[in-house]
Amino acid sequence: MLPPELYAGIESAWCPGCGNFPMLKAFKQALAELEIRPQDLVLVSAIGQSSKFPHYLKCNTFNGIHGRALPVATGIRLANPTLKVVVTVGDGDQYGEGGNHLLAAFRRNPDLTLVVHNNQIYALTKGQASPTSDQGTKDLLHPQGVPYPPLHPLALAVAQDCSWVGRSFAGMPQHLTEMYKKALTHKGLAFLEVLQPCVTFNKVNTYEWYRKRVYEVETRPDYAPEDELWAYRVAKEWGEQIPIGVIFRKPRPILEESFPQLAAGPLAGRLPERPLAELLAEFS
Amino acid sequence: MPIDLNILIGGAAGQGVHSITTPLARSLVRAGARVVVVQDYQSRIRGGHIFNVLRVSDVPLAGPREGVDLLVALNQETVALHLPELAPGGLLIYDAEQVQEVPPGVPALGLSLEELLPGTQAGEIAVNAGASGAVLGLLELPVAGLAEMLAESFAAKGEEVAGWNRQAATRGWELAQKFPHAVSLAGLTPPPTPWLLMSGHEAVAVGALMAGLTFISGYPMTPWTSLFNAVAQRALKYGVVLEQAEDEICAINMAIGASYAGARAMTGTSGGGFCLMTEAVGLAAMTETPLVVVVAQRPGPSTGLPTRTSQGDLQFVLWAGQDDSPRAVLAPGSPAQGYAVALKAFDLAERYQIPVFILTDQYFADSQHTCRVEDFPARRIPFALETEPAGGVYERYALTESGISPRRLPGFGPELVVADSDEHTPDGHLTEDLRVRVQMHEKRLRKLTALAGEMRGLTTAGDPEAPVVLLCWGSSRGPVSEAVSRLAAQGVAARMVHLSELWPFPREPVLSALEGAKKLVVVEQNASGQLMRLLRQETGLVGTQAVRRYDGRPFTPEYILRGLSGVV
Repeated sequence: MLPPELYAGIESAWCPGCGNFPMLKAFKQALAELEIRPQDLVLVSAIGQSSKFPHYLKCNTFNGIHGRALPVATGIRLANPTLKVVVTVGDGDQYGEGGNHLLAAFRRNPDLTLVVHNNQIYALTKGQASPTSDQGTKDLLHPQGVPYPPLHPLALAVAQDCSWVGRSFAGMPQHLTEMYKKALTHKGLAFLEVLQPCVTFNKVNTYEWYRKRVYEVETRPDYAPEDELWAYRVAKEWGEQIPIGVIFRKPRPILEESFPQLAAGPLAGRLPERPLAELLAEFS
Repeated sequence: MPIDLNILIGGAAGQGVHSITTPLARSLVRAGARVVVVQDYQSRIRGGHIFNVLRVSDVPLAGPREGVDLLVALNQETVALHLPELAPGGLLIYDAEQVQEVPPGVPALGLSLEELLPGTQAGEIAVNAGASGAVLGLLELPVAGLAEMLAESFAAKGEEVAGWNRQAATRGWELAQKFPHAVSLAGLTPPPTPWLLMSGHEAVAVGALMAGLTFISGYPMTPWTSLFNAVAQRALKYGVVLEQAEDEICAINMAIGASYAGARAMTGTSGGGFCLMTEAVGLAAMTETPLVVVVAQRPGPSTGLPTRTSQGDLQFVLWAGQDDSPRAVLAPGSPAQGYAVALKAFDLAERYQIPVFILTDQYFADSQHTCRVEDFPARRIPFALETEPAGGVYERYALTESGISPRRLPGFGPELVVADSDEHTPDGHLTEDLRVRVQMHEKRLRKLTALAGEMRGLTTAGDPEAPVVLLCWGSSRGPVSEAVSRLAAQGVAARMVHLSELWPFPREPVLSALEGAKKLVVVEQNASGQLMRLLRQETGLVGTQAVRRYDGRPFTPEYILRGLSGVV
């Protein structure tokens, strides 16, 4: 095990009590236990409070634009499959702005970890509804309440054969560390959603609210994460009962292995010699 | 008098216009002719009217011209649309099963399956092969090479189909013998080193491969797609990872990710696809990630004319993105220049850590030109990376005099590479320290100083003292240079100044090239005069006249000369 202090980053700008703090701590713990060195890790983020995560951690970082972390992360993996790549983004970012890339990532199955911090709100822009806000959530833009039901990202992931789907809760640090470790060691796209209370703008979905509802899915007598239909039913559960744990697993070939071009090693720093005469001869 | 022959092959999409053009054009080039092929097609898979024009000569050609000397009509519509263009002494070759009416008095050779391949089920393809054989027959060139090429290109469809093509081409050649041969290419000698027949996008693809391209992502959109395809056909063989993205936003972000991690990366698009990419243009500039972006222009706004040509995105590409950010914009005027520009684009992107744009268009993308191997000199574009160990201490955005900070790749040592789209400190972390903001913004823009010194892509032609100057950029080079030679033949002294590197604007080279100009005519394919505005902004010089085209068709020397009537 490596010392968790190895990953100490700059001082954070999050609100006191923010669900991101226990996530940061648990993530460092998981990295330390798995002995992933900062130099071998790239964190990719986009826009939102959760996207500041990589700055508060010592590692390689690419903090890009709203909704586009997955394309950047996939590009990094294709250029250098020896790097451990983790995307840390929020619900508004990935489920709203970046929805198309989420669908494509399910299909591609790149070998990376996608962590979505789900606080059911846009916190950085001060409290607007997000794609996962519950129906009826009131904010400045929806004084009558959000008129339609939330997205079910985990059910979507199961329906699209995402190769690993799980959920955890920021209020359960040990569960969180274990889930990070499972996601980080999965080969293929590991999609981990973390319920992450926003203490400033979301007065409904609080630590208390989640604590009353979450249950560990592995305790179910019918637990069958390889069974697609079972996983779909569980992934759709939301409200009085919210499942956490590994919900779906489906081993699939990874994107990187579909490119024979990568068999010779990473593209990173590679400058191939190409036969000009041969290239031109095709046109004579 | 040099030989100058225009062959128009027209029909409906799906009738095989393209599949006979290339073997015919290649046979002519192999025989020692100079050929330029221009494609005109519609945004549909079947039907509609499409045509290719092969201009054939025994001397080097700058580009296409107007007029038709030999008309190959695969359907009635082609006869109706193009027969009026047929020059006196011209000949019509037509598919006798598709064309019912040929106006009386027109010298014409009708080809039918019955006459070409009696007793077979060969169908339309026989007529296509027969027509290309007939063209060679009229030009007094041997048909064997063409027959073999056709047989080869249809080999996948079985020996019988390949054989039909071979026979039909030969029979077409024989049938042409009874017509007068107005032009003979029999005196040509094949070049000692074979010449090349290459499109602009193919040349850019070869340039990118020679520059060490290892990653390309894109989304299909005409006319960009032909470049993406040209790389795709060679990707496996030459070790390029190619990914078709779910949209253009993904395409550019994925290329940026790959480049950050150390792949030599490019992306590209057209029109609306580039509108989607613009946010990430700023990202590449802000994170100082090398990136080559091809923007293949077509007429707009919005969807516009998908399969036509335009130079309407110059000002868009110059300024696309948030705030001020460094970039280079290049626009090749020929396949050879497309190759050189691609190499230069990767070199500049690598050394300056900026996005570099290659502006092409449908005409440049698809038209094929006869080139020589010597026009494609080998060049190697090394990486510009910091590789010395720094003991783990490293600032990705260290403030430097040149504005260029030492770049490292993640995973190649203990030094951590922290890249950020937010305004950031030298070590890459987001900041709201406005003093740092000013330092960083100035650092990025300082790159433009040295970059400006690298811009020298200026070509001149014609009488260097002439008071009449035709200023142009990008793909207009060929037609403008021919317009200048035709003016000279009419006794009008004129010269061309062509720019293939537009940003940072090559102010001094342009000022010196324009010295002595009394009439400055800016020739470009957009309605508002985008180069004319750029010239005035950067030099204070005002173009006195303009020739502009924005109907979606490429410039021809004739179009330019018509535009100049009354001016010179």
